[in-house]
Amino acid sequence: MVREVSESCVESLLAEIVLSYCSGFYANKPELAARRIEAIGFQVGHQLSERYTMDRPRFTDNLDAIKFICKDFWSELFKKQIDNLKTNHRGTFVLQDNRFRWLAHMSVDPSVQASGNIQDPSAMAENKSAQATGMHLYFPCGIIRGALSNLGIECAVSADISNLPAFVNRTCTPPTLSFCYSCMTEAVLFTQLLSEKWLFQSAVSSF
Amino acid sequence: MIVCLAVVGHENNPLYIQSFTESDDALKLHHIVHCSLDVIDERVNNPKKSSPTINEAFLGLLYPTENYKVYGYLTNTKVKFILVTTDLDIRDADVRNVSLLFFRKFHAAYVDAVSNPFHIPGKKITSKTFRERVSSIVKSFGLSSAS
Repeated sequence: MVREVSESCVESLLAEIVLSYCSGFYANKPELAARRIEAIGFQVGHQLSERYTMDRPRFTDNLDAIKFICKDFWSELFKKQIDNLKTNHRGTFVLQDNRFRWLAHMSVDPSVQASGNIQDPSAMAENKSAQATGMHLYFPCGIIRGALSNLGIECAVSADISNLPAFVNRTCTPPTLSFCYSCMTEAVLFTQLLSEKWLFQSAVSSF
Repeated sequence: MIVCLAVVGHENNPLYIQSFTESDDALKLHHIVHCSLDVIDERVNNPKKSSPTINEAFLGLLYPTENYKVYGYLTNTKVKFILVTTDLDIRDADVRNVSLLFFRKFHAAYVDAVSNPFHIPGKKITSKTFRERVSSIVKSFGLSSAS
């Protein structure tokens, strides 16, 4: 018996989690909010990995477990597989998803700008969008970390974003998201956003 | 007849133990379960290279004692299910299929119990629904194997 959940409900829930934790519970402490969101994701990943490994033969090594995450786990969660997997053979894996489903409907309104010294408008815009999307990445990172830890692999997961949907001359570039996982014993999680130059026209935030 | 069921976590911590006999040898059954953990560790860490079932979850008959047979099942998340039965007169082929089916159902019940957001991973499973579900699975297998 496979139960399904409405995708828009999941997206609304995630947006609300980020909003409540960042503006509500831990309004002035984004680090704490990030840790809490990641911890929620950790528990979810833990339980999901239990469910999705049920009918599978046992994994022989770490690479098998990562492949499971890239293929089966990702397709159960996001209905597609990871687009690219890279490793440095020393414990760091980079999972690249060229169209991350949970951020696919997300964009940032650049017209809301604090008045003040206009240094470099594009840098300010980048900063705002970096802040906006950064918090949304903690939950999926937590899910991955929880799933891997349940399979016996202690790791740290961090996420980079290189492109949000930008309406530039009517072409839409899908978001590219790469997760970087490395075997460490501390659970440190921060997102760094690669700053690329992108132009907006009036993109309205979708929620 | 199924005499005892146990779920043991990946650090060999007990998550769920239930015995289905009325007599007072629950302690003996717990001891049997505890000893079988060593057998599981041995099987997993020193796999016989010729064995085709090196990656299978179902570990088969772990060891027979004088009255009981013990079967093991290891999930991907290193959680072990241990089943102690007293059916000594069933052939091995049948028993394997029956136990496999039993473990599949038990695994499904376990996954549902662990997905409970109020369950703390690593602590004992205290869900009444899980207990009832397990009892009904055991009953249905008791009836079918008593033929």
